[in-house]
Amino acid sequence: MEENLSRRSFLKKAVGIVVGLTAASSAAPIVRYLIPKLSKEGDNILTNADGEPMNEKDIAEGSSFVGSSAFGPTIVVRNAGKLIAYSAVCTHLGCLVKWQQNDDTFLCPCHAGRYDINGKNISGPPPAPLPKYSVTIDASGHILLGKV
Amino acid sequence: MIKKIIDAIDERIGIRADIKEQLTEYMVPSRMNFWYSLGAVLLAIFTIEIMTGILLLINYIPSVKEAFDSVALITGTIPFGWLVRRVHVLGSYLFIITLFLHMISVLFMGAYKKPREIQWFLGCMIFGAVMFTCLAGYLLPWSQLSYWATTVGTNFPSSIPVIGGFMVHLVRGGELVSQSTLSRFFTLHVVVIPLLLIFLIGAHIFAMHRTGVSNPPWTTDTTKIPFYPKFFLGDLTIIYIFLAILFFFVFFFPQIGFPPDTLVRANPLLTPEHIKPEWYFLGSYQVIKIIPNKFLGISLQGVIVALIFLLPVIDRCEERRVWKRPIFASCVIFAVVAYVVLTIWGSYS
Repeated sequence: MEENLSRRSFLKKAVGIVVGLTAASSAAPIVRYLIPKLSKEGDNILTNADGEPMNEKDIAEGSSFVGSSAFGPTIVVRNAGKLIAYSAVCTHLGCLVKWQQNDDTFLCPCHAGRYDINGKNISGPPPAPLPKYSVTIDASGHILLGKV
Repeated sequence: MIKKIIDAIDERIGIRADIKEQLTEYMVPSRMNFWYSLGAVLLAIFTIEIMTGILLLINYIPSVKEAFDSVALITGTIPFGWLVRRVHVLGSYLFIITLFLHMISVLFMGAYKKPREIQWFLGCMIFGAVMFTCLAGYLLPWSQLSYWATTVGTNFPSSIPVIGGFMVHLVRGGELVSQSTLSRFFTLHVVVIPLLLIFLIGAHIFAMHRTGVSNPPWTTDTTKIPFYPKFFLGDLTIIYIFLAILFFFVFFFPQIGFPPDTLVRANPLLTPEHIKPEWYFLGSYQVIKIIPNKFLGISLQGVIVALIFLLPVIDRCEERRVWKRPIFASCVIFAVVAYVVLTIWGSYS
């Protein structure tokens, strides 16, 4: 009887360990499969919705352009002849900001959050400023963005 | 012929005895009313959602390049595609409204109390799964509204310290709402959550069978009668009344749930003006809007959800009659009114 119980208890533990190990070894690749890879960092070119590089000459004085870069949606404004670039993603809930030429602010259309020309949050719910990017122009006139 | 087949099956596995014991001659309180039929209504609408969902799947293409066109094809070209899509969308609204009514009736009748705590927990899980599958399904048409409502909706966890950013990344399958998000939400909406719901609903009904249907608290008459035919016909009548309401809106107000931004293809580089989530998330959206700290707004809602879920553990008093529980009744009425006010406020703000 004693021997039977001990065998049974050993078998219970052995089955538990085998099933546990099977579950753990299956779970690891599944979890890794579901976690997306992080995007690459570094300089990158601003493109339009079709993925074509934007030329700096296409952005007139006082106007803006929202395009894609490796940083995600990016807004570029030409102010006093100079291009300035920020993440276009509102720091509140992720909508894209628009440039308001009449008062030199960025406006988020979702919850009316506002940022000044330096990307600083000045009114509404946004909790943080817009991340700023450095802008350089290559020989072809393409807009290269970098981390500040 | 059919009788012979049924007889042959019954001879082998005794199906008639099970149907009698578990359904037709299952004993239920004799004084049940309309509120007790809402579970059956939910089961009927869930079946409609599964059937219309399967029909939509035949023509839907889960790709950012083709999703919008495939939905336009279903709505505009495929015979009765407009009907299938509208029944699916408006059916989901009716499902949520009925689920709200079912939960409110359980609260007022104290039917979450011992020994029915497990039904309450399972019911709350069903509610959460339904809300999540609605959020996931909303992205699938890949319209401007679905894209930006999903962008805002999936951004909520970002306010959680330390893991918030990772959670957003995990849900979206990347930094932004993209093909990865569409694939994930498609899988969740058509496979994972429906399977989970079938399991949870099955467990909910199983638990109800084990504990028995609660006696109405307004009567001391505890007589029980078989479910069939009285309550079977009663449930069927209520189901048809709800179906009449559903099809009234499908045929006479088909534009409900389809504002202009649902007719424009998603543009990830242009946020439309006044983006708003679906009506059942408007209350939550308005709370986030009026509380300046996003983390605080989300935490507050998390606490409310936890309190509702744990209600059978918190409220252990045996009294079920609502007129003997004025504080509890006032809290429920306040919560319902607050939700309705926040929803209306959210739609106009």
